[in-house]
Amino acid sequence: MSGFREDLCFSLRQSIIDGDIENSLKYANECIKASMNPLEVLNKCVVAGVLELGDRWIRGEAFIADLVAAAEAAKVVIPILKNEIVKRGGKLEYVGRAVIGTVEGDIHDIGKTIVATIWEVNGIEVIDLGVDVPPQKFVEAVKQYNPDIVGMSALLTTTMVKQKETIEALKAAGLRGKVKVIVGGAPTSAEWAREIGADGWAPDAISSIDVVMKWLREKRSAVGETHG
Amino acid sequence: MARPRLEVLSREEVEKIHVASLNVLSRVGVRIDHENALKLLNSVGAEVDFNKRIAKIPENLVREAIAKAPKVVKLCSRDGKLCYELSEGRNTYFDVGSAAYYYIDWRTDEVRRPLSKDLADVAKVTDYLSNTHIMSTALVPADVPDVIADRWRMYVVAKYTTKPIDTGAFTVEGIPDAAKIMASVIGEENVSKRPFMFFAVCPSPPLKWSYLTMQNLIDCAKLGLPAHIIPMPQTGGTAPATIAGSVVQANAEFLSGLVVAQFVNPGAPIIYSGSPTVFEQRFATSCTGSIEVQLISSAISQMAKFYGFPSASYTIVSDSKVFDEQASLESAIGAIISVLAGLDIAIGSGMLYEENAISLLKLVVDDDVAGMALRFGRGIDVDVDTLAEKVFEEVGPGGLFLKHKHTRVWWRKEHFMPRLLDKRSADMWRKMGGKSLKVVAKEYVEEILKKHQPEPLPQDVEKELRKTVTEIAKRYGIEKLPEV
Repeated sequence: MSGFREDLCFSLRQSIIDGDIENSLKYANECIKASMNPLEVLNKCVVAGVLELGDRWIRGEAFIADLVAAAEAAKVVIPILKNEIVKRGGKLEYVGRAVIGTVEGDIHDIGKTIVATIWEVNGIEVIDLGVDVPPQKFVEAVKQYNPDIVGMSALLTTTMVKQKETIEALKAAGLRGKVKVIVGGAPTSAEWAREIGADGWAPDAISSIDVVMKWLREKRSAVGETHG
Repeated sequence: MARPRLEVLSREEVEKIHVASLNVLSRVGVRIDHENALKLLNSVGAEVDFNKRIAKIPENLVREAIAKAPKVVKLCSRDGKLCYELSEGRNTYFDVGSAAYYYIDWRTDEVRRPLSKDLADVAKVTDYLSNTHIMSTALVPADVPDVIADRWRMYVVAKYTTKPIDTGAFTVEGIPDAAKIMASVIGEENVSKRPFMFFAVCPSPPLKWSYLTMQNLIDCAKLGLPAHIIPMPQTGGTAPATIAGSVVQANAEFLSGLVVAQFVNPGAPIIYSGSPTVFEQRFATSCTGSIEVQLISSAISQMAKFYGFPSASYTIVSDSKVFDEQASLESAIGAIISVLAGLDIAIGSGMLYEENAISLLKLVVDDDVAGMALRFGRGIDVDVDTLAEKVFEEVGPGGLFLKHKHTRVWWRKEHFMPRLLDKRSADMWRKMGGKSLKVVAKEYVEEILKKHQPEPLPQDVEKELRKTVTEIAKRYGIEKLPEV
């Protein structure tokens, strides 16, 4: 075992922050070649980079385009590091599991994908159902994956009603009590979330983390166990 | 008479954008989630990948479509007494923003879901205003099931204003039903001859058409109903961050819709419209009141004129969340640029809250703003009377024009008199209560709603219209509809 190479970690984190996919890949592979602990690399050099950019964006020091680019770069290297963790006989630890999608009739992808990636880098296992997802497909995904959280995005005033229908479909299937539901997207609001019986709402991807992490902490302390 | 005009592109730049959009259409193509539209394009010579649902449209189809489309589009009042001829920005008509999901209550400032009655109020106020020429189906009422909200809006608005109506469908049945709604008011034979509604169809940026909007566009073309194709480039989000790139995208999307419409039905009336937004990188918001929106809208107007079509854009909009200084200043800039750029329709009066709420206070102030912009656009009359040489002789040095008859004749003709903007002396203003514009606007709205009675539909027509809407609702098993 070699030690933790701070110089490589710094370069990887910087490449993530720059949204430089090519260099992110290069340094992630160098970290692996240098036999650095992949879980440590994932947390300190990849996730930390995205989170730092998230903080910068909240402070008004970065653009959303920068955040998206960082998330994209992270998305490319995360599977490589996870793969390495498993290869070394380690276990992937998640703080929770979420199913996410843009509702039926709506094909807006960007916002939902940013949220999915931000959740992912915060240690949540995310199952992304994509766009134009009918209520029944959410229901099936909840049955299949047994998630803690369901996230729904809608960018059109004409499709936001599908968030309501999906919550109703979850109720009808007897699954509503098993999951926390968070909704988002430009036309939605805290009032809207209350009106349709969602558990939470967030104005943007970064703020959504506080909402879902709080749920997961509460659940952990209530159940006294974590997801494997 | 020289009319003040604004051009943001040189002739050469217009041609460059034209060529770039043709290249995008023929090399990248557009994705159309509509099998029949793809088949149609394929049959006339487009290269279609049915798996990817991408049609690459060659230049000759675009040229043919441009030649087939009418250069003048007519929008009429419900009673047919008044028709606007949209043609290369000869006049600018101001239009209330459409399909807001929220209503900002003018009494309480509360942001809430609208009821049908609120929509009727917006129609009534618009009916009264002099510089707001087109009413839209401004609100999506929450007191009817969503599945018929699109057509129910048309009924409410048609009842409370005679002005032409900017609308759109959220359903596949929306356009054929809208034709039925119009037929019950003006008779089937007049529906395409003097339509009082026109229809928004919005491609999904970038370069994509959903099944629903494509079907709406095809239905409009088949029925000969005016459609405004509204590309929505979002700088740095779903469109390039650059202004020129965003215009190329809007133009390519518009032309792709135009081609389908003209090959479905040659001569189908089409308006080249737009709703550009700035994707604010600092907050991840789509902004409509940003100055770059006005640059793109002006460019859209020029592109439309290059092809010879009427143009429209969402320009009199603000990103403010409440009726405040920002709400009016962004709209004012938009209004004046709309007129100068020669847009046939400036859309967005009354609209706030991320293009998602209607404020009656903003609507009435926008009417003053529109009046000012229109006055500026009329320019300066220069002739014997207005040069007033003879009057100088009669008044002489040190004289007073106030007393001369010329003043009484010409002052009124030359000036726009805003209704709400305060022009009194400070002392008089104080004596009148020292009211802010917001208070004045509130009182004005209250007065209009109290006093103004829009021309009612003839009783038999009203009955027929209600019957049509009731039948549409029944199709969805909806028995009860609100009274408005």
